[in-house]
Amino acid sequence: MKVTFESVELGTEIPDLVKQVDQRVITQNAVASLDYNPIHVNPAWAKKVNLLGRGTTIAHGMCTFAFITSAVTDWCSSSGGFISRMESKFIHPVRPGDTITCRGVVTEKHPRLTGKSFVVIELSAVNQESTEVAVCKAQVILP
Amino acid sequence: MEEEVRIEDFLVTKKQKAFEYNFFNKAEDYQRWEDADFVGEYEEEKTYTVEVEDIINYSEGVLDDNPLFSDESAAKDGPFGGLIAHPLFLTPIGFWIIGDSGPGSWVRTPGAINPGQVIEFYEPIRPGDTIHVKSSFHDKWIKRGKRYLTFLSDYYNQDNTLVAKWWITLILPVSRGDEAHQF
Repeated sequence: MKVTFESVELGTEIPDLVKQVDQRVITQNAVASLDYNPIHVNPAWAKKVNLLGRGTTIAHGMCTFAFITSAVTDWCSSSGGFISRMESKFIHPVRPGDTITCRGVVTEKHPRLTGKSFVVIELSAVNQESTEVAVCKAQVILP
Repeated sequence: MEEEVRIEDFLVTKKQKAFEYNFFNKAEDYQRWEDADFVGEYEEEKTYTVEVEDIINYSEGVLDDNPLFSDESAAKDGPFGGLIAHPLFLTPIGFWIIGDSGPGSWVRTPGAINPGQVIEFYEPIRPGDTIHVKSSFHDKWIKRGKRYLTFLSDYYNQDNTLVAKWWITLILPVSRGDEAHQF
């Protein structure tokens, strides 16, 4: 079903997106994004510096952000929806072995006469322990 | 025994194969939090010419099989009239363009932590685009003992059309080398 500004109501939930994260996913994301910070790709160094408490690598915040973004684009991009703004906060590390679920709900509608009407979606990503790892607010122009 | 995951096994595109992926190399030349403060904007010397393989590989790297980002022929019939990049394709563009010394090189700092990002998108990025970036110092601050730094980077295409604005923020460790944060 086409997603349009008129068809979307406040409280509309976008479909969940679930991703499994392991070291292969993290390293593949590092290569795709050209971000080779050793905290992501070097388990021996991550163990040595023990940066965030467990001595493991962590996934890129931008990887979690990409999952959240994909939840939005999966919902609306085939209808011509276009993300115009994203604001994210990463609040808990994502580690190898985690399962990340991204959820979002439409919280604002902004009608415009210029064909640029947009909605605001508030999103969160949680791990398998229901710990919130990231939150995000997305502004999406809908046809 | 955990399986060793090798970076080399994932290198696919021409840019990935040409990119220096050891962020410890030249780490002493990266801009430090203490030094990052200036007036005005600068333009990165490098540009990024977008190829189909770049767009498709990035979508694979974020586990996104949306045909708009990964299937050139299917995307032709989509609402954008062709393949477009996943919104966060800005990430490899940024790392490609930013050098390993001078302004912006702090994004490569080993142990830097991502606290959150703000991005505005104006136009989709498509194959054939050549992206250039202008950046400026935005803010740096200390909060709960952590040292934050934000640059604003404006992404333009070959027509000088603004495609995105990214307020890039990281928490930087005290040193640039292999030491942990010292909060």
